[in-house]
Amino acid sequence: MSAGAKEHAGARRRVLPRVPVVERAAVTVAVAMVLLAAVGPLIAPHDPYAVDLSRSLLPPSGDHWFGTDVSGRDVLSRVLSGARITLPATMIVIVTAALIGTVVGTVAALGGKVVDEVLMRVTDIGLSLPSIILALGLAAALGSGLRSAVIALSLTWWPGYARLVRTLVRDVKDAEYVDAARMLGVSRTRLVLRHILPNALNTLYVQTTLDVAAVMLVISGLSFVGVGAQVPSPEWGAMIAAAAGDLTGGWWAVAFPGLAIMLTAISFNLLGDWLRVRNDPTIREGAGR
Amino acid sequence: MTDTPLLAVRDLRVSFPGPEGPVEVVHGVDLELARGAKVALVGESGSGKSVTARAVLRLDADATLTGRIELDGTDLLTLPPRRMREVRGSRAGLVFQDPLASLNPVMTIGWQITQPLVIRGVSKKVARRRGVELLSRLGVRDAGRRFDDYPHQFSGGMRQRVVIAIAIVAEPALLIADEPTTALDVRVQAQVLRLLHELADERDMAVLLITHDLGIVAGFAERVVVMRHGLAVESGPVEEIYAAPRHPYTRALLAAVPRIGGDLSRPLATVGPAVGTAEEEAVEPS
Repeated sequence: MSAGAKEHAGARRRVLPRVPVVERAAVTVAVAMVLLAAVGPLIAPHDPYAVDLSRSLLPPSGDHWFGTDVSGRDVLSRVLSGARITLPATMIVIVTAALIGTVVGTVAALGGKVVDEVLMRVTDIGLSLPSIILALGLAAALGSGLRSAVIALSLTWWPGYARLVRTLVRDVKDAEYVDAARMLGVSRTRLVLRHILPNALNTLYVQTTLDVAAVMLVISGLSFVGVGAQVPSPEWGAMIAAAAGDLTGGWWAVAFPGLAIMLTAISFNLLGDWLRVRNDPTIREGAGR
Repeated sequence: MTDTPLLAVRDLRVSFPGPEGPVEVVHGVDLELARGAKVALVGESGSGKSVTARAVLRLDADATLTGRIELDGTDLLTLPPRRMREVRGSRAGLVFQDPLASLNPVMTIGWQITQPLVIRGVSKKVARRRGVELLSRLGVRDAGRRFDDYPHQFSGGMRQRVVIAIAIVAEPALLIADEPTTALDVRVQAQVLRLLHELADERDMAVLLITHDLGIVAGFAERVVVMRHGLAVESGPVEEIYAAPRHPYTRALLAAVPRIGGDLSRPLATVGPAVGTAEEEAVEPS
């Protein structure tokens, strides 16, 4: 009993300090990326748009830590400024898609046979179209630009989440604790929001963080083919696309934005694992007693 | 029993949809509980005792219920969902068999204990105070601090106390306990049942105890109803039934309870299919 009491005393506060080193590093990087997105343009040493052809493709040095691109723009400043473009765009896509997917999936799982059939067929249609193709078409229809790419991706990314959430909710909705709560007079809305979803969505959190990398790459890909961020924008994918032709002359113009994408992707993947552990009290405390 | 009983079940029939049309599993059960009474509903697995108990609060959404279930004079079977929700938790509570499965794993037990009060507009502070009081009354040491723990941090016996606290925190007049101690070891069983009995007396709360364990009935209930094959075959005061069971099935059930000091060389009695009337046997395949 005393061991239990002692363990209890630190249960709340211990969540952060107990995170293993790798996860802590991942959280740090993820937080740093978000911070960068907020203050990046302010701490950039040079103007990310200033073209100076006399300084074209300079290798990394004290003045230009990440070198310069073919137009003589400072790569470090562009990567820092780009964080404010790529990260929010990715987040908007993920959050919007997860929200739509959660609503559709939950309604399908709880709404009865007909509703389920209709929603799942719509979802299947969405799933059967490759999201990058659909995004291409939508972006073309809405006009080129990062905004169309984000809207298009948000609208094509949710069907996977809808499927996932439907399965998760169906698993949880017949749990005895849901019945027990219903027998206490808990309303349907509260049952869904406080009992079913918190238990069902853990897997979704992990999936969304895993998708951060994928969405970032699709946004970059859309920029690459010209329907995403437009040319002078320091969006990371657009930077890689623009510099890819000069790879042999200046690897740094491709490598550093690529490194930024990679670091963000990895840290969000690890963040996803950590979130899952954090949200499941039975794992957080170690094996159940 | 001069005034109206707290719970009156009349000719309750319960059927579930099956592949070849509805299957009736309870065939017209009558049941009566006075205010503050403790009644045990006993029977073997599949006798329909749980389904009967769950039907009182209309737990199984796909079940078809006919007959009357009156709580305090209100027929629960015709109650609209909104009114039914008011009954659940505040006028009648339900305790399930498996205390871990009936607790939400991602919410603290305090959150779960105060929930029945919070959703009825009691302030969080007051709800917490009442919850902690009740939990320590149920014998959970250090209740104030353990309030913010999660279900998996409690032992089986403690979890069942938490589940009972959740069911009775809003002070229902009736508690239906569906095999509340089956998942616990014998010593903890006795503790939990004694506490439940004491609390029921303190609060003048009626308890309908569903069990297959005749050993715990004698110490807990005043009346017992014996069910088999979806029918109530015998009911009466515990002493009478135990001393002089009239129905052959009740006799067989009582004979099947192993006794300390019994003749070990003789095999234990079993409740064979030979017991009971032909009509009862006919419904068994369902």
